[in-house]
Amino acid sequence: MQVRVWDGFIRGFHWLLLATFLGLWFTGGKIEHIDRHEQLGLFMLALLLTRIIWGFVGSESARFQHFLAGPKAIVEYLKAPREFQRFTHNPLGAWSVVALLTVLLAQVGTGLFTDDAIFYRGPLAHLASSDTLRLLTVYHKQIINFIWVLVILHVVAIVVYRLLGKNLVPAMIHGNQAGEGNQRPPVIRHGGWGYLLLAVNCIWIFYFLG
Amino acid sequence: MIRSVKVLVSLGALLITPSLQAEPFENAAEAVEYRQNAFSMIRANFGVLAGMARNEIPFNADEAKTRAQAVYHLSYIPWQGFVGMGENAYEGTEALPGIWQNKADFNNKAEALRSAAKELVEATESGSMNTIRPKFMAVARSCQQCHEQYRD
Repeated sequence: MQVRVWDGFIRGFHWLLLATFLGLWFTGGKIEHIDRHEQLGLFMLALLLTRIIWGFVGSESARFQHFLAGPKAIVEYLKAPREFQRFTHNPLGAWSVVALLTVLLAQVGTGLFTDDAIFYRGPLAHLASSDTLRLLTVYHKQIINFIWVLVILHVVAIVVYRLLGKNLVPAMIHGNQAGEGNQRPPVIRHGGWGYLLLAVNCIWIFYFLG
Repeated sequence: MIRSVKVLVSLGALLITPSLQAEPFENAAEAVEYRQNAFSMIRANFGVLAGMARNEIPFNADEAKTRAQAVYHLSYIPWQGFVGMGENAYEGTEALPGIWQNKADFNNKAEALRSAAKELVEATESGSMNTIRPKFMAVARSCQQCHEQYRD
């Protein structure tokens, strides 16, 4: 039996986030691509905000309340990973999601307050003192290292699961996962609502910060 | 008698002149202020060109030329402020000690800015943003290449 585990928005979000991240990484630090870098950064802000809102109002499998688990659940999961049968992030992956969203948000947030000391200032640079801009610019250059660590961990985890006999990638493409046992499938919201929310976030973000 | 006075005066001038030429600054703080002000003037003028290059303000050929010329002339100015006055020359500033350790390379980078700025001025003669833009970016890159190595 196939169970719908990831809605259309979550899947699109995931791959858009990856593409946007790669674009940001490529354009980052190259002064001739700064305008493209800013646009991609604003789009990533829209993606992240929409994902966070979707984590409260979206499909059950995407809701933080549904998949976030405490240290006890993580220990239990590590002891017997095969016992975990829910159709959402596992307890460890859940915190990896939160960590990734947090560092990406920190990266996008500091990007709004950068000053390259040549000709570029971030969209919100006028709100901060030059000392603050200097500090946040330094952070912006350092946080990327944390992002790469998490991205590599994420990919390594996918590979390890694959070696252990579980291929997680197809579910992030077509949204379905083989149903095991008799647990209840998650309540899935139509991904279109997520994209509508993304469009609204893009409009106000690009209007006020673009 | 007159001859020996002349010799004395010349000797005296020799003794005085070098100390007048060596340092235009009383102390490191003055040198730091001097160069920071010079960079801030470069940025202010370059910023107007940036606004035009990035379509934030309307292109004005005369204005672009004036600003490019200002950047070019100012590109000769800041370097005298990187004088050898020990730690006071960079403590509490964004200047890295490497400037004083690799003075020859630092001077080459200053020269790179001057030649890029000169080409920018020449490009503004065209009155076309499409000609100016790549030269504008070349100046920005020369700033960045120096900052990467010598600015904290």
